Amino acid sequence: MSFLKVLVKNIVAGPSTVAYPFGEPETPAAYRGRVAFDAGACTGCRMCEYVCPAGAIRFDERDDGLHFAVWHNSCANCGHCAHYCPTKAIRLTNDWHMAHLQSEKYALADHAVVPRARCTRCGADIGYGTDAIVRHAYRGVARQTEHLARLCPDCRRAASIKGASL
Amino acid sequence: MGFMQKVFRRSPWLYRINAGSCNGCDVELATTACIPRYDVERLGCQYCGSPKHADIVLITGPLTARVKDKVLRLWEEIPDPKVTVAVGICPISGGVFRDGLPIEGPLDRWLPIDVNVQGCPPRPQAIIEGIAKAIEVWSDRQ
Repeated sequence: MSFLKVLVKNIVAGPSTVAYPFGEPETPAAYRGRVAFDAGACTGCRMCEYVCPAGAIRFDERDDGLHFAVWHNSCANCGHCAHYCPTKAIRLTNDWHMAHLQSEKYALADHAVVPRARCTRCGADIGYGTDAIVRHAYRGVARQTEHLARLCPDCRRAASIKGASL
Repeated sequence: MGFMQKVFRRSPWLYRINAGSCNGCDVELATTACIPRYDVERLGCQYCGSPKHADIVLITGPLTARVKDKVLRLWEEIPDPKVTVAVGICPISGGVFRDGLPIEGPLDRWLPIDVNVQGCPPRPQAIIEGIAKAIEVWSDRQ
């Protein structure tokens, strides 16, 4: 009569089938899904582009800044980009709802622009994401350091000699 | 529309073609059908062994040069109206194998694709989502 025990146990436990697509699916928080990019935290090192095995990430340097693009239909969700990103500007969300019709094939991409950092005194081009680099390099940032980090090398030298008055 | 067609409409049969896949997506396809946790048969779907019986064809793999003609021939055998689903990033874009020497893909160079399922491999729920979209396309085509 041991089968009765199993029967009762199964009735109490209910069906093991997940409800999706007729109900809400459950997704682990750590599931590697759609890539998300935060342009504000990017330092423009382009490491993600370099390590991406599928070549899903492209950077394009233009006058208004560094254009970031990821084509999810080429992305293998391996997580290399998130692993190697020094400032964690790129990460993998647990969103996997990416099945789509053929007409949307090339629309399944994300695009962002990392703005060019300019010297606050002379307006010279000083690369990308200087604030993100400073936040990454130091545990806490003094106002003076922050101020100096936003200057070009020439202005920084001049400001340092003058005592970096704010 | 007759009674038979109304009933028939709800039960598309699935057919799998491996176009040089690494077997990752194929394992997920098997999981989708065989494990009660996912159970694609709730959508009225069932895998079939012959392309002549198929309604929705699921293609995995980046389409290698060696298998290309066989895949195209097999695809031709499936009666219309058929819905073609590309499972995984390999048939969609070539994935990590893109621009490789033996790769003839992406698949939409040779076949009209209807639904793409992103993932490497896509999780069973994502495949079910893709199949649900394919069933919609298929119903419109009847």
